[in-house]
Amino acid sequence: MPLNAGAPRPNLFAAGLFAATLAASTALAPLPAAAEVNWRAAEGSTINLLLISHPFVDSLKPLLPEFTEKTGIKVTFEELAEQPGFEKLLADLSSKTGSYDVFMTSPLNNWQYATGGWLEPLDDYIADTKLTAADYDLADFIPGVLASGRWTLEPLKGVGEGKLWALPINFESYQLAYRPSLMKKLGLEVPKTYADLLAMADKLKTDGPNGPVNGIITRFDHYWDLPYLTFGTMLQSYGVEMLDADGKLQVCSPASIQATEDFITLIKKASPPDAGAFTWDQAMQGFASGQYVMSFNEANLFAPVYEDPKQSSISDDVGYAPTPLGPDGKRAAAAWIWSLSMNSAAKNKTAAWLFLEWVTSKDISVKTALAGNMNPVRTSVWDDPKVTALMESWGETPGQYVAAAKTEAEVAALRFPPHPELTRMLDRWAEAIQQSYFGQGDVKTNLCAAQDDIQAMIAP
Amino acid sequence: MPPRRQDASENGLARGTFLLLLAPALILLFLSLYPFLSGLYTSLTDQKLYAAGGTRFVGFGNFVRLAGTPLFWTALGNTLTYTALVVAIQLPLGLAFALLLDIPGRLQSFFRSVLVLPLLIPPVVAGLMWKTMMQPQQGVLNYLLSLLGIDPQPWLANPATAMISVVLIDTWLFTPLAAIILLAGLQSISVELTEAARVDGASPWQIVRRIKLPLLGPYVLLVALFRVSDALKSLEIIYATTRGGPLNATRTLHVMAYEEAYRWSNLGRAMAIVFVLWALCYAISGTLLALWQRQEARRYAR
Repeated sequence: MPLNAGAPRPNLFAAGLFAATLAASTALAPLPAAAEVNWRAAEGSTINLLLISHPFVDSLKPLLPEFTEKTGIKVTFEELAEQPGFEKLLADLSSKTGSYDVFMTSPLNNWQYATGGWLEPLDDYIADTKLTAADYDLADFIPGVLASGRWTLEPLKGVGEGKLWALPINFESYQLAYRPSLMKKLGLEVPKTYADLLAMADKLKTDGPNGPVNGIITRFDHYWDLPYLTFGTMLQSYGVEMLDADGKLQVCSPASIQATEDFITLIKKASPPDAGAFTWDQAMQGFASGQYVMSFNEANLFAPVYEDPKQSSISDDVGYAPTPLGPDGKRAAAAWIWSLSMNSAAKNKTAAWLFLEWVTSKDISVKTALAGNMNPVRTSVWDDPKVTALMESWGETPGQYVAAAKTEAEVAALRFPPHPELTRMLDRWAEAIQQSYFGQGDVKTNLCAAQDDIQAMIAP
Repeated sequence: MPPRRQDASENGLARGTFLLLLAPALILLFLSLYPFLSGLYTSLTDQKLYAAGGTRFVGFGNFVRLAGTPLFWTALGNTLTYTALVVAIQLPLGLAFALLLDIPGRLQSFFRSVLVLPLLIPPVVAGLMWKTMMQPQQGVLNYLLSLLGIDPQPWLANPATAMISVVLIDTWLFTPLAAIILLAGLQSISVELTEAARVDGASPWQIVRRIKLPLLGPYVLLVALFRVSDALKSLEIIYATTRGGPLNATRTLHVMAYEEAYRWSNLGRAMAIVFVLWALCYAISGTLLALWQRQEARRYAR
């Protein structure tokens, strides 16, 4: 059976992000006064959140008293690192105990959670004028980003349709971040293509005040985020998607083999020997501590960390550029969308909805963005003068970050088939890349073995 | 020992006690047996956390599939390697510490309390601590090696060195346990024996070799039993440092089962792995226990 035959690919951002700005500004016109929202409808109740450590969480915590004052709802939360956080969430959701009313998640995770019936669809709450303010303005969300939270529950198709399972809180795409002073010292230009980058890989190293400075850093462990996000961006720029238009797996296609070989060459030449175990936080901290010339295809929302002198030793020496172009001069990029969902076993759903509504409202979105919650998912936040001023200041030259982020957003999409076990398939894919890096078999054999295993997972 | 005759009152008391203890015993039996049996049942199904109601009985399907999964054999090998290394390193090392601590001296009590400090640290914390120290770039371990003129090691970051690195952390954490038990054993040896040997002109080494070590037999077995069963099930240190990586270098059966359940939601397959681990644990500790019992029997037969 063809896997994804004929299903239109949800092109989440293309012509979405900045084209939508125009459309949204008309939508901003005052709407006729609807019924007043009773913010105190769940006064006296308590909700519990599961938060995954992220700049969003840091930006949210100081605002929580504001919510309690407005609604009379007490908010408690648990904040955990990604790995243990998702594991704990899975244990709670699957046992349907409802310990967490609202939790951080993403479309990838929700494809499993929604299949399990653990998510509360949000459409009815949004439609309820007693619960949702008239100025909440769903049309203000970047359409593609909001649509990533919809799914029909059919495996391998139907993203962007069906019920709304989540509201987005930020999205990341990928970029090159580099040290202008070091690039100048080395006499190198910021690479425009992967070929450029490969050609300079040998030269990307120098000495700094605290010892040798390595070439590039990027996350590289054996988990799904590798083919899904960072290396995924490189794969997609080489024209590789997990399934092609006919629904056939492309894990060991010639383009995929080429991209993987180039990636491994790059890491071997320009990364330190322990590059085969880097996680995203190590990649972020490593670059922020000034030990690398370049951060390769890493999340662009690390920029607020790089720019913050308290967290970074390179805040006055960092530049941003879009990810390189593929062999055919094309660029495509992955996207990660942090979202909030409501537990279908939540004990107080009204309170949970009021929180979801409040935290994703225009007003609070601006406040969290100013406190480092990047990138905004509402066009009104992108247009907010204070947010614009903040983001304009990032980079080697004014506006450099925004320009790179916009370039990337135009080609960013979720180019993966929705499936409750997609993470397992991608973990297997990542394992094949690692095997090749550690010299256990050649790229082609490893990728083709992974493809066979993934095929078996799709159609057992 | 001749069998003792029990009089009637004693017998009656026993019966009352028996009835009184029956209820808690049954409760305990139920509490331990029920999860065990339900786990066993799960291992025979294709239960997935997210597939509500869609669970099918698959017989030994999960086990057959495991046998055909190369990763399972890698994980089994890793589990046995980890356990073997842990016992082979920690037993002699613990014994050495115990012998040293058994020597009377002014600093004896100081060293005894310092020795147990690692035991007070939760394994996850120890793992994270060592992970920081073992970082190839900024880690203090490579800095210390560089002072000795030794090349930096990749430690946890390379498949070739990851296993020995996690065993090293386990050793730091649990050798004190071995040392404490063996020290207790040494101190249970009556002074008359060693004094008599000394008076007869035995050297300290001969005392250790001929008197202390043979009498320490049951304690050595006890330590081996503890360390084997703990090492087979070890998860925290590995998960806090390498999460089974790099690649699959430290992926033990327990790590594999954990990921199967909590990364991939596949409860049936996870339980199958757990039962393989259980059988392994049961077989090895059963052998050790049998050895111990034989030793005990021999001791009392004298």
